[in-house]
Amino acid sequence: MRHLVQRTWLIWPALFLLVAFFLVPSFDIVRASVMDPDFTTEHFERIFDRKVYMAVFWNTLKLSVIIACLSALIGFPAAYFISQQPRKTQFLLIFLIFIPMWMSILIRSYAWMVMLGRDGVVNTALLGLGLVDEPARMLYTSGAVWIAMLQILLPIQIVTCYSAMTEIDMTVVRAARILGATPAQAMRRVFLPLSLDGTLTGAIIVFMLSMGFFITPALLGGPRDRLLGNLIEFQVERLNWGFAAALGLLLLVGTLVAVVIIRQLGRLLIKRLI
Amino acid sequence: MTFGKTSRPLAVAALALFAAAGVQAQELVVSGSGGVVGETNQKIFKPVFEEETGMTMRNVSAEASRMAELEAMVQAGEAVWDVSEISASDYPIAVSKGLLEPIDYDKLDPEGTLPDIAKKEFGVVAASYSTVLVQRLDQTPEGRKMESWADFWDVETFPGPRSLRARPEYNLEFALLADGVPKEEIYDVLSTEEGLDRAFDKLDEIKPHIPVWWNSGAQSVQLLADNEVYFTTTYNGRVNALQAEGLPVEIVWNGGALHTSHVGIVKGTKNPEGALDYVRLRTMRPELELEYVNVLPYPNFAPGLFDSLDPEVAKTMPTYEANADAQFLANEEFWKDNVDEIRERWDEWMLF
Repeated sequence: MRHLVQRTWLIWPALFLLVAFFLVPSFDIVRASVMDPDFTTEHFERIFDRKVYMAVFWNTLKLSVIIACLSALIGFPAAYFISQQPRKTQFLLIFLIFIPMWMSILIRSYAWMVMLGRDGVVNTALLGLGLVDEPARMLYTSGAVWIAMLQILLPIQIVTCYSAMTEIDMTVVRAARILGATPAQAMRRVFLPLSLDGTLTGAIIVFMLSMGFFITPALLGGPRDRLLGNLIEFQVERLNWGFAAALGLLLLVGTLVAVVIIRQLGRLLIKRLI
Repeated sequence: MTFGKTSRPLAVAALALFAAAGVQAQELVVSGSGGVVGETNQKIFKPVFEEETGMTMRNVSAEASRMAELEAMVQAGEAVWDVSEISASDYPIAVSKGLLEPIDYDKLDPEGTLPDIAKKEFGVVAASYSTVLVQRLDQTPEGRKMESWADFWDVETFPGPRSLRARPEYNLEFALLADGVPKEEIYDVLSTEEGLDRAFDKLDEIKPHIPVWWNSGAQSVQLLADNEVYFTTTYNGRVNALQAEGLPVEIVWNGGALHTSHVGIVKGTKNPEGALDYVRLRTMRPELELEYVNVLPYPNFAPGLFDSLDPEVAKTMPTYEANADAQFLANEEFWKDNVDEIRERWDEWMLF
């Protein structure tokens, strides 16, 4: 016993924090969703009885998958570019990528309103260049939500991807070249397989964060751009804790299941690529 | 254990803390607002309260999570706040959850000078405001301007993008008014299934002309300022600010929804006397309220307020007689009982 204590004490503070402030409250949410105040399944019945909740859930899922895929497609080349720079330039570039993360999501969403509005920066430029005759509708569309969420979440993808790439031993790639591989072959057969795991991890993190978004779609989206987070917020505002907990659980379980599926699919895809 | 000498300073420190806590019973904590409303509130009411009672007052702004925090502290039996602002729509929720102390009007207003409209069982009206239609006069046809909800629905005479709040509350009332329901009958009609259908059918007509549904008061006026829409609902106080910036906007008081928000005493407060003093100060002092409404057009029912108000300013108030008569009183009780179901239907209506 004493031996065990000595070997594991380093992890105790972290474990305590997680159990006390994450696991216990999480169980409380599970409890609240079925005990209101006595055991009831009414909250879950309501979720499945009405069309709106599952429709919004699928919307949320679809949007998050799209954002995750786009962030991987854009983040991978960016991370590769950075990882190939001299060490000092790498630090500078990563630092630049981190700067927007110091601003709150709310402020960044508002900034996009200034960019995309009818009298906004983009429309003013388009009109000035004579590319359009009247202001294009960009704000309050799904496209605006995509762009803003992508911009908000991309740094996370790039940094995750980049840190995986810096761990790749570049002498392996050089060895492939020495053994006669073309640069494209070395990239596809050696570097890509080694870096895709990090890209997948980044995409999964972006996916999970997207699932919980609600401010950005509320500010920039159209009437159909509602995510599950928006519906949960309304229930909390009304102090309907039970139903809010049930919706939260739907979001949590849905996200976990989706993550497992995405991981498996991603792994399969990576194997096929190799 | 080393409980001897080292613990003595600790004990002293602990005692000092308890003593400090004792002194703090003379502190009044008010859950108020942030932003301009909070600042104005503290500038006008705080110094007078502190001078007259000898207590200190602390403002906490927690609008977003106010109800959740309030519920948590009442359940825990540990009232951290003594007084709380309670918005129009939160009031019925706070009452049904038992989060507030009943107001003792014999003590608050022994002479009975407050009008009945200001007196709720668990709160006193601290401010009134309206959800009103506002229009950009530079975007209406020559010589015409909107005068009713029927005009808002009339896209032939008044073409152009419009906005409404992204919630069913009060929009359904506006739709019924546009459809010719007299304002006295709105909530009777809305309480029936057919009435609800009628409101949604009317909203179907206007839906294609609403490119954006607003989510916050700031957003609604921003839409007007940026020319994203020409006509929208908003809170009356926001319009004064737009006009001050020189924007040609005008309120249509006819058919507006009049709301009252309250100050209430938190259940289990440790400072009930101070809390009542603050509620009285906040709701019954015309000379202080006058200063307040000159900054923010959200008046309460302090007796005699309108007597000393500049007539030009008075006309911009939601409770100015002509304005109040043109509006209907928003029925928060109806919404508390029905919002869950109506909101689901609304969300479906928005999605499909």
